[in-house]
Amino acid sequence: MTENAARSVRSVYFDGITSALHEVMVACTPSGVQIRNPDDSLIVEWPYERLKHLNAPDHIFRIGLRKSDKLERLEIDDQDIARVIDLGCPDIDRSGASARAERRRAIGWSFAAAVSLLLVAFYGIPQIADRLAPVLPQAIEQRLGNAADIQVRAMFDKGPKTRPFECGGAPVEAEGKKAFDKLMASLEKGGAVNIPIRAIVVRREEPNAVTLPGGHIYVFQGLLEKASDVDEVAGVIAHELGHAANRDGVRTLVQAAGLSLVFGSLLGDFVGGGAVVFAAESLLKSAYSRHKESAADDFAVHTMQALNANPRSLGSFLARIAGSSNRGSIFLGHPATPDRVARINAITTPQSGGATLLDAAEWKALKRICASYP
Amino acid sequence: MAVTDASAVSGPPTGSVRFTGSDREFWRIAVHGAALLMITLGLYRFWFATDIRRFLWANTEIGGQSLEYSGTALELLRGFLVAIAIILPIYTVFFITVIDLGVYGTLLTIAAVLILVFLSQYGIYLARRYRLTRTVFRGLRFHQAGSAVHYSICAVWWWGWTVLTLGFAYPYTRAALERFKMRNTYFGDLQGRFEATGSHLFVRGFLMWLAVLIPGLITLFSLASINWSRVTAAARGGGDVLGRIERVSPGFSDNIVLALSTGFVCLVLIALLLPAFHALVMRWWISGIRFGEITAVSHLRTRDVYIAYLRFIGWLLVFAIGILVAIFFAFVFIGFLFDGGQSQASEIVIVVMMVGFYVVSALGLTTLYQTIVMLSVWRLTADTIELTGDKIAIARVKAAGDASSPLGEGIADVLNLGGI
Repeated sequence: MTENAARSVRSVYFDGITSALHEVMVACTPSGVQIRNPDDSLIVEWPYERLKHLNAPDHIFRIGLRKSDKLERLEIDDQDIARVIDLGCPDIDRSGASARAERRRAIGWSFAAAVSLLLVAFYGIPQIADRLAPVLPQAIEQRLGNAADIQVRAMFDKGPKTRPFECGGAPVEAEGKKAFDKLMASLEKGGAVNIPIRAIVVRREEPNAVTLPGGHIYVFQGLLEKASDVDEVAGVIAHELGHAANRDGVRTLVQAAGLSLVFGSLLGDFVGGGAVVFAAESLLKSAYSRHKESAADDFAVHTMQALNANPRSLGSFLARIAGSSNRGSIFLGHPATPDRVARINAITTPQSGGATLLDAAEWKALKRICASYP
Repeated sequence: MAVTDASAVSGPPTGSVRFTGSDREFWRIAVHGAALLMITLGLYRFWFATDIRRFLWANTEIGGQSLEYSGTALELLRGFLVAIAIILPIYTVFFITVIDLGVYGTLLTIAAVLILVFLSQYGIYLARRYRLTRTVFRGLRFHQAGSAVHYSICAVWWWGWTVLTLGFAYPYTRAALERFKMRNTYFGDLQGRFEATGSHLFVRGFLMWLAVLIPGLITLFSLASINWSRVTAAARGGGDVLGRIERVSPGFSDNIVLALSTGFVCLVLIALLLPAFHALVMRWWISGIRFGEITAVSHLRTRDVYIAYLRFIGWLLVFAIGILVAIFFAFVFIGFLFDGGQSQASEIVIVVMMVGFYVVSALGLTTLYQTIVMLSVWRLTADTIELTGDKIAIARVKAAGDASSPLGEGIADVLNLGGI
């Protein structure tokens, strides 16, 4: 700062009070930057430690004052003076090295935040749902279930208007209904289910059963037809009871809310981010769902064992319905059937079962629970 | 602090708005930003938006003096966090109430959507305030007065009419909202206003609107005249599907052909007219801006905007070919890696790859649009602005207004409305 200090250059100065442009002379002193009128009278001296470097086109070095209530600006296009000020002022770094380092830190933390949010989505949200689902009031789940019930009936009941959706209402079906209720009662007792269950058999051809929030269980007619003994049906219903007892409906809801928070508002807010969000959400939902399916299988096994029924019937029935070609996929909401069967067999020993749940006559009646409409 | 009068040089020479930024620098910012957006799953957006604004502002020169953007990414991040803190409880309350009310909850959802629509306009107005108060020119900042609540009501009302009239009211909507925004915009103590009229834009854009609307309406009507529930019922099962459909819904194939052809015409017309419309609205908007005595006139040429769009399409083709080649090699590689065997690992690799290609394509598309169309139009618009008025007036503006909070940017961001 020897030869340059004495030099002064023409610059442009705005005082921050009016928009008037002042052509001034700028010189560097050991303590700061002196701004002078062309007649050499001093306008102001800016100390180095208060200077800040501001956004400007490349050829202009624009500086202002820190902690000032005005926006006074000095614009210098002389590179030598700019360099002297850069060297003299601790906070100004024209090379951009410190700005780049700061930016790298920001990028690093953003990346870390994204990873941490993904980990929360993968590990945290299911845990939160596990803790939250049992303590949510039953009443909420009931109302939710009733709303879902209306929708599901509308969606599944595709028969003529005169055909009742629910089986067991007609006189010929009364015996079957009695058998079904008996089966449900023993399964609920065996599984120690302490929430109200409303299970019905409905006229749908698929071999399937679904559970809605609030203990609504729909057993499809197709399931009863495909089953070769009562333990097979009981296994599937016990699995559905597992969903109800674990309150998986509420769990799914909490998980979906958590996912939409993480991905909807915090992450993925960029063009093309929609695909990332969609893929991540579907993968995570499937993973959550597979976890719930396995838990329900475990529940079914324990229930069947408690009732001295054959716990392996669920697995063999599943294998027969799904076929053995069923492969696992990261997008599937349940584990691959062979894996499920293997898991069930691993935690059980074969039992004869059979007549413990329903006797032969009752089983025959149950098979005819939808008999009024062929 | 005495400044002698002799040194106070008066305002800008007329007709001297310029854009001095280099394409190369903007490319660097945009490509770099797009890559980091991908890696951070979008969290980099605050820094990206700030970089772009700093570049555009600093390189826009009015009367020899460039603008300065004084906002920071951390401010945007803070605004986003505050907005999350405000909006999240609202979301939660709605979520719980909807569950609690069962069927009636659905009605409440409609109310929630309405509130979000108002909130988004509210956020847009506050975000504009933030951007203006971070714009420094000649040692003074811009600022924005006016109530954001008032603006959001106006905006929802006008945009509602625009949607209901299929765009007929668009010019009047733009004019009304620009009037609202500009009369509340100040450079220091110099108030702005907007003098272009909706009718002016309407007259110039009417034929374009009609040209797109007529084929669009024909498409809609021909689709609406088909009895869809019967057609879907008849489409089930094999055999002579078309014959069965034709029986339950006479004129089905004619309607479909008509809908497809007019729909195609409509899309082609939109593509052909978009640059002209873009130029028209830009010219109209710039030519309506006033600050005190200073008036702006835009001489933006439609031809130049078309050239920008053509360059965009050219690069887009190059980019698309590049992506296709990359996808081809990726599949060859995968086939080589997982020879025949279908495993979870191969499934994961394929999913990650497909999502990756989608993201790269989408980000590439926007980056090309930003760097070619947006930057060109910004440059062309700036370079063709002619300012007239009292040269002294621009030098006599006094400082006014304070820096505003970045909350509005945050709200707009949370509601996915963030922009440059």
